[in-house]
Amino acid sequence: MTTSSDAKIRERVQQIETLPAIPAVFLPLLKLLSNSAEEVKVDEVVRLVSYDNTIAGHCLRLAGSPLFGLAQAPKSIKGAVITLGLRRVETILLTCCLGQAFPATKWVLDPAVFWRHSLGCAMVCRKFSEKLAAADSERAYMAGLLHDIGFMVNCLAFSKEFSKAMASAGQEGIPLGEAEQSTMGFTHCETGRALAEKWRLADDIIEVITHHHAVEQSQKAQPLVALVHLSDLLCRMRGLGYGYYERHKVDLIADPAWAILLKEHRELEGVDLVRFSFELDEAVEEIEALVATVFGSAPARA
Amino acid sequence: MTIVPQPAVPASSKAAEVIDPVYRQIRDLVYKTSGIYKAEEKLYLLADGCGRRMKQLAARTPREYWDRLNAAPFRDAELRELLNEITIGETCLFRSQAQLDALRKVILPEIVVGKTKQITKRLRIWSAGCSTGEEPYTLAINMLEESERLLKGWTVEILATDLNDRSIETAKAGVYGDYALRNTSELYRRKYFSTVDEKKLEVRPEVKKLITFSRLNLQDDSKMLFMKGMDLIFCCNVLIYFDAVSKSKVVSHFFSNLNFGGHFFLGTSESLMKLNAEFHLIHFPGTIAYWKPSLSSGKL
Repeated sequence: MTTSSDAKIRERVQQIETLPAIPAVFLPLLKLLSNSAEEVKVDEVVRLVSYDNTIAGHCLRLAGSPLFGLAQAPKSIKGAVITLGLRRVETILLTCCLGQAFPATKWVLDPAVFWRHSLGCAMVCRKFSEKLAAADSERAYMAGLLHDIGFMVNCLAFSKEFSKAMASAGQEGIPLGEAEQSTMGFTHCETGRALAEKWRLADDIIEVITHHHAVEQSQKAQPLVALVHLSDLLCRMRGLGYGYYERHKVDLIADPAWAILLKEHRELEGVDLVRFSFELDEAVEEIEALVATVFGSAPARA
Repeated sequence: MTIVPQPAVPASSKAAEVIDPVYRQIRDLVYKTSGIYKAEEKLYLLADGCGRRMKQLAARTPREYWDRLNAAPFRDAELRELLNEITIGETCLFRSQAQLDALRKVILPEIVVGKTKQITKRLRIWSAGCSTGEEPYTLAINMLEESERLLKGWTVEILATDLNDRSIETAKAGVYGDYALRNTSELYRRKYFSTVDEKKLEVRPEVKKLITFSRLNLQDDSKMLFMKGMDLIFCCNVLIYFDAVSKSKVVSHFFSNLNFGGHFFLGTSESLMKLNAEFHLIHFPGTIAYWKPSLSSGKL
């Protein structure tokens, strides 16, 4: 891409008037997500949930559903949080608070599909980084969760063009980013970056959002960007994609991101990638269940 | 107070049932020795298989069975019995839709483009260890489905081999019951099968015509050397019974037997592990395969 066209796109993206303000719960939530499950305090979570009536209502309703088989539905938010468990509450918080910034009526992409991929990628990032001694697995989880946030911007600000890109990706079986580039002239990476900068997210997260499809272009946090790139690919190949069949094959070990990650983490050499892929199928079941509890039913796999 | 993450799978799911941790040890042993991996949600299948063996051996607990499984000199024989148990019932037509999708949606278009300059358009597929024929017939039906589209004007040859003469005879007959046909759609049943009786269907001659069945021992080096020019090799749940040295030798043969750019598929939960450094591990949606890089680039 030339510098002039790059500047043009930047200008167009920066001019998005509809770019929403950062939801109040979002930053405290990211802080919560950056802790391991053992470090999270229940009162902190209850405080976040109580902050917003919609979120609190959603948690109480879900905790009282037959899925959890309680004789008596929990009456307090604390009871609901304990019934649901940390991961479900985090998912509800995240989907609700971003759902407020990006109203459901504007979504071109099925939100359940979007969250299944994002949560899947987050979980794969965490599992992947757990295999690498020096990697921060909770940071990786958060990076995976937010890497495709640009799709939400595209739903909101470029809904017509983005719809076309999605239709073309589905018809041709090509990656959604490629379809965006040929239909819109830019991708979710640029729009995601604009949002992340506006919301003043951390530099390494902005790097991931901007460069997860072009790892070599990343200047800072390259190993984290590489980890998210590989996890994203793996998700799309193991049933956590964007709801259509991507007609391509992936050689993860020959991918430049693999070499970048290997330079930083020599343990990568010892990772049994086939077994890891099989193990991810277990994570797929878990993600499906998580998305189903939040959205009612799991979307079709791809 | 900290929050304990809850299992995300609803309590009714099979995966949520409490599994004796010994089965995870058995799963790891099976993976290490055979390359077959039973994911957490399929662990109950492994437990069922172990249960049947435990009954045979009068072992009372999974721990007792684990000890039997590790006791020399029975270890290899018992592991074989267990592998039989856990792969039983996997034989049916259209066993892995993800492999067939990869074949038709990704690999065939790639082969067609790759061979555009060749005068003779020929596709060679080998079903190595074809057992009673379900796999080669599935491949043949899929190739026939493409014969008016991607493969118009192409010659398709499917070679199906097995060590067992009786299996080969059954395969040649091509007669299957409901269990083997459980994944076969009504449309394909009508299109590619004729009725034998109310319980059995027979593969039609136009499907059989694409396949050459023969007996072959994969460990027969001299014969393996002749199996050249393959575009695709399928070898599902066969290598799991081989020891590491034999497995490595057979896999090296497969690598030589493939054309550059050719693909090698194992069973859906089977891994080559690190037996061959020349093959590239490739992910397709929902499945994996091994790829012999093209001569030119070694890249996708």
